[in-house]
Amino acid sequence: MSVPLHPVSPRGELREAFVWIAVGALVVFMAWRMDRMTHQGAEIYTAPGLWPGLVGLAIAILGGVLAWRSLARARASSWTAAEPDAADYAPTSNFVIAGALFFIYALLLVGHGLPFWLGTALFVTVYVFVFRRAERLAGARSGSPRGDIVFALVCGVCTAVAVTLVFERVFFVRLP
Amino acid sequence: MFDGLVAFGHSLASFFDPISIGIILLASLAGVVVGALPGLTATMGVALMTTLTIKMPPSQALLVLICTYVGAIYGGSRSAILLNIPGTPASAASCLDGHALAKQGMAGRAMGIATSGSVLGTLIGMLFLATFTPVLGDLALKFGAYEFFWLALFGVIIAGTLTGDDPLKGWIAGLLGIFAACVGQEAIFAYDRFSFGSRDLAGGFNLVPALVGAFGFAELLSAVRERAGPVKINPFDSVIPKVRDVVAHWRTIIRSGLIGTFIGILPGVGEDVAAWSSYAAAKRASKEPEKFGRGSIDGLMAAETGDNACVPGAIIPVLTLGIPGSAPAAVLMAAMLIHGVRPGPMIMVEAPTFVYDVVAMMMYATLGILLYGLTLTKLLIKVLSVPKAVILPIIFVLCVVGSFAIASRLFDVWVMLGFGILGYILRRRKYPIAPLVLGMVLGDLMEKGFRRGLVLSDGSLEPFFTRPISAVLWITIVLVILLKFEGVRRLFRRRKVAPA
Repeated sequence: MSVPLHPVSPRGELREAFVWIAVGALVVFMAWRMDRMTHQGAEIYTAPGLWPGLVGLAIAILGGVLAWRSLARARASSWTAAEPDAADYAPTSNFVIAGALFFIYALLLVGHGLPFWLGTALFVTVYVFVFRRAERLAGARSGSPRGDIVFALVCGVCTAVAVTLVFERVFFVRLP
Repeated sequence: MFDGLVAFGHSLASFFDPISIGIILLASLAGVVVGALPGLTATMGVALMTTLTIKMPPSQALLVLICTYVGAIYGGSRSAILLNIPGTPASAASCLDGHALAKQGMAGRAMGIATSGSVLGTLIGMLFLATFTPVLGDLALKFGAYEFFWLALFGVIIAGTLTGDDPLKGWIAGLLGIFAACVGQEAIFAYDRFSFGSRDLAGGFNLVPALVGAFGFAELLSAVRERAGPVKINPFDSVIPKVRDVVAHWRTIIRSGLIGTFIGILPGVGEDVAAWSSYAAAKRASKEPEKFGRGSIDGLMAAETGDNACVPGAIIPVLTLGIPGSAPAAVLMAAMLIHGVRPGPMIMVEAPTFVYDVVAMMMYATLGILLYGLTLTKLLIKVLSVPKAVILPIIFVLCVVGSFAIASRLFDVWVMLGFGILGYILRRRKYPIAPLVLGMVLGDLMEKGFRRGLVLSDGSLEPFFTRPISAVLWITIVLVILLKFEGVRRLFRRRKVAPA
């Protein structure tokens, strides 16, 4: 298998390979333990576990090929690869905060008693405020804290009203 | 021949009413905006629109989706030219020459070339959609369980091979998609697989929330991770396409239209490969290849014609075989199934006029992008200037609402989140997402083909390998896989050199 030019290190690729081998083996194991339906007169080739078992086997085999390739890459060069330029990425804290806000909205604010429009307005307002503030503090733009709050509030309320009206009144879609 | 023209005329007339025209204008606009915004792809746009149109009559819903699809593929060129950031992966090739032209003060001319290339590319693809679909439909009637099994596998393998940098990772992503399609009750005994006693999991993963997650949420997470630079837009001249740009490059337009359509027909390959292939072919054929990447009109025309010609091309296998030609076409196919349209070999028997309806929708979508290509530049620049901090939460709200809207259950929102995280991790580790989607869409067809084939042959694998069409398909699959191994390629090269 030809080796592509990419920044994933052989060590990282070997770890991935072990994950795929484990996933494939687990799928094969679970497929093997499935009822073969012989009490309903089924043949082995109609057993419910046959197809997923083959898919699991194929995942494990390709995981094996990936492991073999990463070992060959490591032998040819080294276990590590050039790290991607950190300047291309936003700070990790941004990612963690955004991820947390996404999950809080999807898992807690929506579908658990809070009206949809209120949950949406809260989420959008907080998200916009947090990231606009971060931009201002980083010197990427000018403005005042009060301005950020007003802007975020306008975004939150407008989004909540527009999404609620468009989905419920125009497209007759049920909202969470 | 004339029956087809009459049916096409009827289809065109059936959409010529105020509501349909309003839908065309709004959906094309939505598509162009989604395509122009970096980080939002055509697949995501079509998936979100599928959820929005769930209660609409099928013909109107499909009109929305096709206009969004065509609009998004075209819209990607705007940010490629103005910002040097491809709005969709399909526009990556347009960055090279489009942005170079913009830096030379010819952004307007570049946008005009993109508009003319996209419109002509869609028209070339549409011509093939209208003429090839009935022919391929007749051929598809000869396909049985064995052929469908191989064809579906071919789709996943070819998507894995061509859509990323690393075929091995593409095939693993495809297998993960096929495995995801195994979750839930199987077709013969209604036996629950991998459901762990959950009633929701027993129903399997709903395709649209999974796609919204894999393309929408995963893209949002990637967009949060990437540092956004300041938006700098070059000044631009007139965006009206110039006749001389079209006439001088007619060979490139026809060649790229044909390449784009052909790549669209290949299951699972998609618009980005079509754009790059057309670009590479234009560079090879050009008398001035050194200009490519430095503002070549030929290069931009090739990329834009190729990716848009791929859109109708990708719909041909959807209609005739029930196998999508690209990731957005996979979502479109899922939407057709939701709306009670059964794409596949029987479509020319059960609903022969439907094919012409799709061609007519494509025609109107083309007019939509032409209209916005000529008029929308200033508004699009405003949209492109909206900060990421405002766009991302709004898109996430749409992902959540869209996932919930399909079946009104929170489980689908969790599916969207789960596939979003999986999609993000895979993307970070350089696994392409298109094969995952193809695997999910085609997994069921593949399993049914495999098990039905075994039942028909009483457990024998022989017909899978000996029937003529099956034999062509499996030999092609084996060759595609083997040729990705350096050792095999070396062997072929040695055999070529040996006689000399």
